[in-house]
Amino acid sequence: MGTVIDVQHLKKTFNKEVALQDVSFSIQKGEIFGFLGPSGSGKTTTIKILTAQTESSAGNVFLFGRPANAMKQSHNRKRFGILTDNSGLYTRLSIEENLLLYSNLYQLPRSAVKEALDFVNLYSERKKKISQLSKGMIQRVTLARAIMHKPELLFLDEPTSALDPVNTQHIYNGLRKLNAMGTTIFLTTHDMGEAEILCDRVAFLHQGKIRAIGSPKQLKKEFGDDSITVELQNGERTTIQNGAQDAQKLYSWMKSEEVVRIYTNEPTLGDIFMQITGSDLV
Amino acid sequence: MNISMTRIQAIFMKDYKEFSRNYAVSTMVLLPLILAFVYNKSGVNSINSYFLPINSAFAVVTAYVQCCLIAEEKEKNTLRSLMLSPASLADILIGKSLFVFIISLFVVALTIFLLGYNPANIGILTIALVLSTVFYIALGTLCGLFAKTIMEASIIVLPVMFIFSFGPLALSLSAAYPILEVAEWLPSSQLVILAEALESNFATMDVLIPMATIVIWSLLTWVLTGFIYKKRMVD
Repeated sequence: MGTVIDVQHLKKTFNKEVALQDVSFSIQKGEIFGFLGPSGSGKTTTIKILTAQTESSAGNVFLFGRPANAMKQSHNRKRFGILTDNSGLYTRLSIEENLLLYSNLYQLPRSAVKEALDFVNLYSERKKKISQLSKGMIQRVTLARAIMHKPELLFLDEPTSALDPVNTQHIYNGLRKLNAMGTTIFLTTHDMGEAEILCDRVAFLHQGKIRAIGSPKQLKKEFGDDSITVELQNGERTTIQNGAQDAQKLYSWMKSEEVVRIYTNEPTLGDIFMQITGSDLV
Repeated sequence: MNISMTRIQAIFMKDYKEFSRNYAVSTMVLLPLILAFVYNKSGVNSINSYFLPINSAFAVVTAYVQCCLIAEEKEKNTLRSLMLSPASLADILIGKSLFVFIISLFVVALTIFLLGYNPANIGILTIALVLSTVFYIALGTLCGLFAKTIMEASIIVLPVMFIFSFGPLALSLSAAYPILEVAEWLPSSQLVILAEALESNFATMDVLIPMATIVIWSLLTWVLTGFIYKKRMVD
């Protein structure tokens, strides 16, 4: 597995305001990496630096082993796809006309348009103009455009923020399929559930700094405890710890058939974020 | 330079479809045609008067439409999407200019026809008109790159349109205001000077100087446009 993204001590300032400070992480080929943080934490700025839309103030950023600036070259731009909150679609053109334009820019066969439309469940709506679409549909068209050329690396900035649960699930399945074919995915999201479902590793970004990084499982282990909550027939809820003393208690309740439910007290990624940063994720 | 005909054609077709559905901009092509028709009916027959609608066509159709097309791409963030695609600087600039180039030449030809203007040397005048089109496209692109929205573009391009359309008229006031003599070196004035020369026994330099002036304006504007475009690629 090669390193697709390597960021070392990245810093970005806008005038005197620090947007990113000493940000370091690397992403391996085939990983789905989640960048989690509240609005204004620097997620979009990071994507902009990685895709050479803005320059860093300090630090080193490499994509596919080359400085991020190399992504300005047109042949390198074929290697990644990007979905941002600002769609950049031609509103007077239909969904199909928009995608046909990009299939020609990427020099893809016409069949790529149908494949991309199927991916986002929009083939039957392809003749609709962008100006007639809902926010969720626009997001799906933008996603179709981002994945149409089957990029090696996909940047997704809040990919399902405007989608209904059915389409969200459809997109998750599609992203997993893309990932299984070798596409590395860099995802920013507020949705902790989304991060847990999709991401191999996540990084918590807060006020321009990475506060924690690891797999959801690792983070839960590191920041959670081993307690479980037991709900008894009399309505009482008791939290017990993993150990011989509490095991005896649990055994006796079970023996006397007093136990109604047992809950694990595993923290969510949102809980961990709050624990680390002292602030909410949204 | 990395140029792809497929990409240029794709951008051209997209611009054609967008333009034909954008009535606010596409109806602007009628303005010089109406002006030419009115001028013809009012019986004007001097080179200076012929070139007011012709220069207006360049300002209103070529520069204004190009400026609006670029500004709209910026406003809707579609220019950034194009920049993030494999299309090169040349693909985007040529693709985005080709449509306006063709429509400009068509409108200028129709304007000349409606004016009833029969140039003495259609070949040389055509070359000068093509060179002027290239310059006005660069000017429109440059104005569009400076604007953030179509509204802003309309304001930015207005003085530019005014200066380049009415530059030759300013020359008639240069006796009273000598500073206006600089207007002689505007591409629009040079076009009039060239057209006047063509109607008489002209020397080679009478044609070369106006042509060279228009070419220099074009080159400088395109270089500046390329520079600004590259700056706009990053935030």
